[in-house]
Amino acid sequence: MINDRNGRRDFLRHLAVLAASGGAAALVPQLRMIGSALAQTPSASSGYKALVCVYLSGGNDAWNMLVPSDARYPTYAASRSGVYNTTSNPGGLALDKTQLLSLTGATGSGSSNYGMHPSMPELRTLYNAQKLAFVANIGTLVKPITKTDYATTANRPPQLFSHSDQENLWHVGTAQDNTSGWGGSSASILKSTFPNANTTLSPCISISGSNKFEVGPGTIPYQMSSGGLSNLSGVCNPSGCSGSSGQRDVALNMMLADTYQSTLAGGYAQVMQRGRDLFAFLNGGLAGPDGTLTTTFPTGNSLADQLKMVARMIKLSRAQNYATRQIFYVRFGGFDLHAGLMSAGNSNHAALLGKVSQALNAFWNALGDIGAQSEVTAFTMSEFARTLSSNGSGSDHGWGSLQMVMGGAVQGGKLYADGGNPAVTGFPDQTINLVNGNNTNPVAFARGQFIPGIGVEQYAATLANWMGVTDTSAQNAIFPNLVNFNPAFRKLGFLG
Amino acid sequence: MRMSRVMLRLVVLGCAVGAGLVHARVYDHLFANSFEVPSDAPATDAEAARFLTQATFGPTKTDIARLRAIGYGEWIDEQLGMPVTPARPFVEQVIAARTAAAQNVGQTQRYDRWFWTAAYAPDQLRQRMAWALSQIFVVSDQSSSISQDVIPMSEYWDLLARDAFALYRSLLGDVTYSPTMGKFLNNFRNQKPSATTQPDENYAREVMQLFSVGLIKRYLDFSPVLNAGNPIPTYDQTTITHTAKVFTGFTYADATLGSGMPSYSGANFYSGGLTSLGSYGPMACWGTELFPATGTGSSNMRHDITGDDGTTATSKTVLGGLTIAPNQTCAQDISDELDIIAGHMNVAPFISRQLIERFVTSNPSPAYIGRVAAAFEDNGTPQHERGDLGAVIKALLTDPEARMLPIDPVENANYGKLREPILRLTAMWRAWGAQAQPPNAYGEIKMVGSTNFLNSYGQNPLSSPTVFNFYLPDYQQLFGQPGPNAPVQLYAPEFQITNETTTYTVANSFYSFSAGAWVGMTNPPIDRPLLPLSALTSYISGASAGTAAYAAMIEEANQRMLYGTMSGSLRATLTNAIQFMSGASASEKAWSLIYLIALSPEFAVQR
Repeated sequence: MINDRNGRRDFLRHLAVLAASGGAAALVPQLRMIGSALAQTPSASSGYKALVCVYLSGGNDAWNMLVPSDARYPTYAASRSGVYNTTSNPGGLALDKTQLLSLTGATGSGSSNYGMHPSMPELRTLYNAQKLAFVANIGTLVKPITKTDYATTANRPPQLFSHSDQENLWHVGTAQDNTSGWGGSSASILKSTFPNANTTLSPCISISGSNKFEVGPGTIPYQMSSGGLSNLSGVCNPSGCSGSSGQRDVALNMMLADTYQSTLAGGYAQVMQRGRDLFAFLNGGLAGPDGTLTTTFPTGNSLADQLKMVARMIKLSRAQNYATRQIFYVRFGGFDLHAGLMSAGNSNHAALLGKVSQALNAFWNALGDIGAQSEVTAFTMSEFARTLSSNGSGSDHGWGSLQMVMGGAVQGGKLYADGGNPAVTGFPDQTINLVNGNNTNPVAFARGQFIPGIGVEQYAATLANWMGVTDTSAQNAIFPNLVNFNPAFRKLGFLG
Repeated sequence: MRMSRVMLRLVVLGCAVGAGLVHARVYDHLFANSFEVPSDAPATDAEAARFLTQATFGPTKTDIARLRAIGYGEWIDEQLGMPVTPARPFVEQVIAARTAAAQNVGQTQRYDRWFWTAAYAPDQLRQRMAWALSQIFVVSDQSSSISQDVIPMSEYWDLLARDAFALYRSLLGDVTYSPTMGKFLNNFRNQKPSATTQPDENYAREVMQLFSVGLIKRYLDFSPVLNAGNPIPTYDQTTITHTAKVFTGFTYADATLGSGMPSYSGANFYSGGLTSLGSYGPMACWGTELFPATGTGSSNMRHDITGDDGTTATSKTVLGGLTIAPNQTCAQDISDELDIIAGHMNVAPFISRQLIERFVTSNPSPAYIGRVAAAFEDNGTPQHERGDLGAVIKALLTDPEARMLPIDPVENANYGKLREPILRLTAMWRAWGAQAQPPNAYGEIKMVGSTNFLNSYGQNPLSSPTVFNFYLPDYQQLFGQPGPNAPVQLYAPEFQITNETTTYTVANSFYSFSAGAWVGMTNPPIDRPLLPLSALTSYISGASAGTAAYAAMIEEANQRMLYGTMSGSLRATLTNAIQFMSGASASEKAWSLIYLIALSPEFAVQR
């Protein structure tokens, strides 16, 4: 049993090594055909598509990412407790209007009424090139609501303003908890229509550890690190060496292949076994030309490190025909800026957004180098935006937010702000006008927390639809509240 | 065949423990100092080691003997009375010595002390409890707000260790006033509203969501209180906004108070932290106890004395709809607020359930949670104290569900927990009596080399990625085929940091702490403890090492690392590996055995 498995792994590994070396593949071109023939036959017309979820952890203060620069600017500045000044207004959270990056965007998009955060010049360029779109005002929703509706508990998602709960709902893609996430559920459905040529490699790959987003029925994400694969000490890499290492290797394989009375022991064995299988499967290719990029990525930027690994996996998967559909997950933290939002340093909001901009730009360039810009769509998620009003040096937990979508398939240079709820539509009015402690603004609460006009499900369904989850019943199964939204807005249009 | 052998052995042991269960919560100390075996003593070394796996950083031969001599109750009482092995004074000295010698200093000095304490300190239960509490009352050097505060973070650890068996309310108070927590969750220098700013809501939210009551109302057994089938939130955003007012006015204890009445000239809320006590001692609160609410000097009064509507005519409405009167001193406000939080019905089940997850099992029965929570509600003394964490840990460890042996292959299939990877490392050290390095020129004892535990293990003391710890207490995973049991969704917090990558990085670290660090090796490392291998090599270093010698060697490893639970198939696997490792030295065979067991699924779980 074990020997059989090792034998198959060895064969696949050698195949990968051969296929990875241009010379061998050129001499024996049918090698790649053998690779495909070994597994299921891929759908001929499917093409390759991938989603890349960029999770901004802690609650991104998105209302400083895109700022109205027209007549609404003074309202923005007032609600953000004034323009930040290290001496005269250290509690202010507003960006200086003259520092905003002006936008052109698509014709008729009204983009010139907005400016982007000054630390995001790379993404401004992509926006103006119409490869990047903004979606606002988006958040977790059960159904379209007004401020009056909010008062009734059943009308709103549970545990608003809690990091863990709201992140969970973004991952699940609905307003109710679930054991699966919308990425994993999509991948599970896509397996039948767009089967991946290789089933050792999960269609869901995380470069940032466990996440519910990529868990689906029968789908478990493969969790890699941005540093790539490493050998396992003291044994064979992969199995099949001699000597003491070989003995230890056989022992380890037997332990991992055993069955266990303890469910948890069996679970541990399965995870480590997957680690061994995927090492054997990927290591040769990832280290070879199919897994290597020429694109320059910024250093000292963990999001860039992760996206670089995503690009390497996309290149490798396409070159070796591993997959027709893949969903990636990366995560970048530090956004829970209750303090020091505007202050100098390398952990403030400007520094974080600068890294996001540089990392996504390098990823875009890498996709260009490997010819996959139109096949890959990257998008952000974050549990909530933050209060407009300041707590003295930062902001607190909000609700409705603003997200970004990037890719060659994206109809960018636009702000997608209509979710089909006439009471809450467009870029939100940022007025904070308190009367008896309550904000008279019909779409915002006392500290500038917004009722979303677009639900997570509309955003997620648009992305899943692009991937090929086009069947209405399949969409409704993943997104059970989608039926509560205006039919004309169940797809938001940023992917056509 | 393997299963039946295990079952047979466990059934035999089960008889012995079954008799002891009756007395599980009644400690009869009459015989503790006599020649009699105490009534609650573990029947075997294996049972003792199993208990010590739950209660310490790993069983040792010495602790097993002690526990068997005095019984569970007496052993716990002994541990409850043990003084704290302190971190902060030690780290202070090391940092002073390194600084004087122009050596760089950082969190590494704190980590080395932490791992030394885990491996060698006598107050094992106290330190394990502090480790569990540090995963509830989270602060982290991953936050730039405290990443440089090595000494204050060491003091925070000592705070948790000092309060490990104190009343919950005392712990909550000490945590709230800690400048390290203050900086981490922005309590520190949080202030009353101004014309343009509002109090920071971070501590107000997380102290309720994570440190005390959680998000929804619970019964004593942690089951949710339902209203028409729906859970009932413990608080809402309005509660948070009002509670944020309470936690205002904190700054360093040594911040300059100025000249005093009437002008308070020179008072500076943003000063302080210059003295050592100021930097790590309890924060001061600049409320009406220090400065007038109105008139000259009132601008220094930073605590919010107003109520819900922003005037001093109303009370603050906080958790459970309870109120805090306006115009109080800061100390009174904080005291009232913490009394309200600590008094909430959720605290006992919320804290008890997480402690059970850290010590015994990831999926406790509601009845088990209920029994531990009952000990939280009433410690059984004539004073009927509530929140006695010493009584809680005693109830938790002596409960029938902790002490029962998981003998039923179906009923107990999901019992126990994946061991935290750091606890697997400390258990390996303690099992073999790892030899610590001698103190270096600065008095420090190097333990972990350059290991990046957060990257490799997914955990590291006081170093979580966020306030939500390394894993969530509610993290669930689907466990499926292959295996004898049907697919099942289980709580499994430690699996949140266990994946294809970390199983490798943890294993590689275990390799460097075993194959790469043993007594007698050529060029041994000087930055981590060395494993003595003689307890194993002694069996096979003679000329006539045969089957029996290998069997005895493997049994020694079984007793030390798996407290006698090694399966027949693992034994056969290890026997083959060691026997056929031709040409390997006795030492290599010994560390191979340790390394392979450290990687085994049987060592990875605690049952």
